[in-house]
Amino acid sequence: MIVKSSAAARARLRDRAVRVPALLLATALLSSRVAAADAPGVRHYVLDPARSSLEFTFLQAGAQNKGRFKSLQVSFDFAPDNLAASHLDVVVEINSLDSGDEERDDTLRSADLLAASKFPQAHFAAAQIARSAAGYEAIGKLTLRGVTRDARIPFTFRTATENGAPVGYMSGKTSLRRLDYGVGQGDWRATDQVPNEVGVSFALRLSAH
Amino acid sequence: MSLRNTNHRWGLLSQLFHWLIVALIILQVTLASLADDLPPGARKLTLLARHKSVGITILMLVILRLSWRSLNLTPLLPATLKPYERFLARFTHAALYVLLFAMPLSGWTMSSARGFPVSWFGFFTLPDLVPKNKSLYAALLTTHEALAWVLAAVVTLHVAAALKHHFMLRDDVLRRMLPFTTTGRGPKA
Repeated sequence: MIVKSSAAARARLRDRAVRVPALLLATALLSSRVAAADAPGVRHYVLDPARSSLEFTFLQAGAQNKGRFKSLQVSFDFAPDNLAASHLDVVVEINSLDSGDEERDDTLRSADLLAASKFPQAHFAAAQIARSAAGYEAIGKLTLRGVTRDARIPFTFRTATENGAPVGYMSGKTSLRRLDYGVGQGDWRATDQVPNEVGVSFALRLSAH
Repeated sequence: MSLRNTNHRWGLLSQLFHWLIVALIILQVTLASLADDLPPGARKLTLLARHKSVGITILMLVILRLSWRSLNLTPLLPATLKPYERFLARFTHAALYVLLFAMPLSGWTMSSARGFPVSWFGFFTLPDLVPKNKSLYAALLTTHEALAWVLAAVVTLHVAAALKHHFMLRDDVLRRMLPFTTTGRGPKA
């Protein structure tokens, strides 16, 4: 009993320890975003959810399968000639995943895979945008299932004016190793039926604010 | 013993097809019942993937087996059979072949309807036979399970007949499907 309660207390402390810097970070990000939006040439974009998609592909028992996340938030501060003031921030609601099969969706949300009830969001925060041969690269940290790792996500970005309003189209494709983020505990750690490599692709329509 | 069939004996290749498919059907029943007892998860996925791959293997073997049968003599039914027994034997054999197609095809179609493509041991992925359709999936699942029971019934009849021929009628019917045995007629093994 004593052991258990002290473990719980430790967990609470740990939670608080995580939460406080997270709050500071969020504040910092928010203020940097305001600063960025104020920087010359920087435009602030948000997601047009109806015309955007974020998909993932994975092999299941040798066959290619596909799913998507229906709910995400994107904040993109961007100026092609002021990349230093450009940032990308994406939050994905894990529970919004849809692999086209309810039973499989429940399995994907379960504790041994994405653990959606404990880690309801994935977060990609890129404070740095770099030019690459194919377009751009967002360099930052990806947090998935409570694990944060460095990540570089390549993308292309083009702008257009639609109905008199500026919009941006961001798309790209990358892959990640699910086990790097602990997506696959217990029996799911095996990679013979569901390999480690998971493809991620996105085609987002962003509107400028 | 010859590779080809004679009027009185199944050749080695026919025997190989027969017993290989028997072994794979036993494996199929085992994989399916093990998977049935499991909650959704990695183990169930693995067992069902194997079940599908083995099922497609059986489908391929049955196609080869029927092709080989068509290129060969079919050993004659014993002359002692009464007309209804002759009919029953032919009907049972035809039913077994039909079921050997119907089982994998219903399973494959069911996977397609569920939206889970079938892979053959990870070497290649089979095309989907139907587009994704939830109610079709449910109907095919019922069909696949019902056909398994029909198969069990027909196999029981088939085995009972083989044993009756061997132990009661004391003829060659069972032995001519067994390797390493001699039959009363035709060239010795």
